[in-house]
Amino acid sequence: MSERPLLRVTNLTKHFPVRGGGRRVVHAVDDVTFHIDRGTTFGLVGESGCGKSSCARTIIRIYDPTSGSVELDGQEIAACPARELMPMRRRMQMIFQDPYASLNARMTVRDIIAEPLNAHFAALSRAQADEMIFAMLEKVGLTREHANRYAHEFSGGQRQRVGIARALILRPDLVICDEPISALDVSIQAQIVNMLRDFQQELGLTYLFIAHDLSMVRYVSDHVGVMYLGQLVEMCAADEIYSHPLHPYTQGLLQSIPIPDPRLARLKTASGLEGDLPSPIDPPAGCRFHTRCPYAMAVCALEQPPLCEAAPGHCVACHLHTPRNCDAKSVSIE
Amino acid sequence: MSQWERVQTNAQDRERIWSVPRTFAGDVWFRFRKKPTALAGFLIVVFLLCFAVFGPYLSPYGYSDQSRALANIPPILSVSDAPDGNYLYVTPALKVILIGRDGKLLGQLSKGKDDETLRRIAYTLDAQTEVYLDYSQKPAMILSAEGERTPASKQVWNTTYLLGTDQLGRDILTRLMYGARISLMVAFVAATINMVIGILYGGIAGFVGGRADAVMMRVVDIISTIPLTLYVILIKVTLDNGLLSIIIALSSVYWVDMARVVRGQVLSLKQQEFVLASRAIGSSNRTIMLTHLIPNAMGPILVTVTMLIPSAIFVEAFMSFIGIGIAPPMASLGTMCNDAMEALRSNPYQLFLPALVICLIMFAFNFVGDGLRDALDPKLKK
Repeated sequence: MSERPLLRVTNLTKHFPVRGGGRRVVHAVDDVTFHIDRGTTFGLVGESGCGKSSCARTIIRIYDPTSGSVELDGQEIAACPARELMPMRRRMQMIFQDPYASLNARMTVRDIIAEPLNAHFAALSRAQADEMIFAMLEKVGLTREHANRYAHEFSGGQRQRVGIARALILRPDLVICDEPISALDVSIQAQIVNMLRDFQQELGLTYLFIAHDLSMVRYVSDHVGVMYLGQLVEMCAADEIYSHPLHPYTQGLLQSIPIPDPRLARLKTASGLEGDLPSPIDPPAGCRFHTRCPYAMAVCALEQPPLCEAAPGHCVACHLHTPRNCDAKSVSIE
Repeated sequence: MSQWERVQTNAQDRERIWSVPRTFAGDVWFRFRKKPTALAGFLIVVFLLCFAVFGPYLSPYGYSDQSRALANIPPILSVSDAPDGNYLYVTPALKVILIGRDGKLLGQLSKGKDDETLRRIAYTLDAQTEVYLDYSQKPAMILSAEGERTPASKQVWNTTYLLGTDQLGRDILTRLMYGARISLMVAFVAATINMVIGILYGGIAGFVGGRADAVMMRVVDIISTIPLTLYVILIKVTLDNGLLSIIIALSSVYWVDMARVVRGQVLSLKQQEFVLASRAIGSSNRTIMLTHLIPNAMGPILVTVTMLIPSAIFVEAFMSFIGIGIAPPMASLGTMCNDAMEALRSNPYQLFLPALVICLIMFAFNFVGDGLRDALDPKLKK
């Protein structure tokens, strides 16, 4: 670890109060720790409802974290009052999942892309803003003729590119992509992912890439973290997670990737994950996965396994792989 | 050579949007005009607006100009021939009015001798001629030169007062214009004030949420339980101005519906991704409210307003009818109805005409509101 990571998330926790539930809370994000180096992509995967999006929204302060810290380039943003957050907001932006819901239907594309400029550079003249917007539109493969159209006139792929233009017009350092391709059809997915990669090389962007299918994450990420019920259960280099998945949950996820060849698919022995995600309002005691784990032991229901380095650069939170000398604080994936 | 040829596409064609650019308002208008009732309602509203705003300038009469001699003259007159070629009209109060051949009212004949044994009255037509009105039997009739009762033979349209006069001899058409003006003014003032208060109050309650929302909505609940009539009477007692007290009462009560609608909209909209995106961008609460939340809630807001207008009009008419609204001599549709009640049997047109205008206004606004609701519903988009 020669350089300071761009984003460092430490023990981040976000609990939502349950309406009418008294003191009970939804454990959306629980004690999540990871970091992302400048210019790399960190993939965050997990089933629907495991807290990936809540994690992203807490990092970017759409939600206020319950506890824990988020450092962007060494500056703390988790506890920062909203007023002092503005310069930090400029440095991190977000691309949303649903290109139909994430653009305001009552605004033209020009106004949608101009919103970040208006929020951060009040002194900018309209002509200057237009110039930046047109340049940005051309970068994402649209033309200035599109600027006066309303978002509902565009196709899904075009809309997602408008969302990307909105996120990138401020030239952020960190871009959080919250399942940016899962609402698009397959041919468009590749187009968007390639565009994101090109921008990463050109602008030196750092991505936090959230997805629920592992195949796409492998293609875009340098490192991958697997989340289950609000916790990180495994974290390592992207290729490593495919070649040597350690956590039973990761293994289950990998097995659930569909195989496009039916003859090969018939050879698949182990089945994917079974059962449903337990309620995040009162998660199972001990290891949260033990209710669905095929290898569950007595200790799993009692004691929560710490996230430890089981192999060089490969962290996992599972009693099957916990080394004796595990020290949860020295987590590192380098 | 094959029958099918590959079409060459390029990147520009792929990105092109082929539809005609249409703004949101254009889209709504396109769907609105497809519905005949909505369009009819809209045209009636426009017509009534012109009637109320420009009508009084075209009318030769003021709303309080009286001519006692020509009171209670209906719009369509049953007349009998006069010896000089004009017509004579007998009022229920046994006055005889000379009507020109074009339907103009030429004036009341001066009353001569009243023969109480024969039960006939002489009226002077000019220096030489007299006509006799026989009231021995009902209805009273003019006697012909031969001394026979001649029933009214012709119907002519009253061209001096197109819709007749009321019991004080005031032109009903002119008074209807002023009445519609009052109604529409009450409607638009109440609608505007309710919209502003309702949007602000409901918007803030929904946007802030939590405890503030709960307290604000309980206040709304309390306000909506107190009956409107009570407000108007109390405000009228202190203000002594009917129009103002009705407007104040309407504005202080009717916004609660609007506030509820806006709050509900804001509550659901603020969870949408485009609002979250705006937060992530760092836009101020003001920007989020004014550019994201309220424009997207505009559909239900407009529908609520157009549905609120007819009920505001009706409240004004009702209050004036029971005598705690507009003060005479100013005309309001409600006071006109009330005035007509005394002589309803002999002059029913005096009640029907203002009642018809009230119906027309309420129908028109209800149709417009209905059409707007359909036009603004994106699920019905074709």
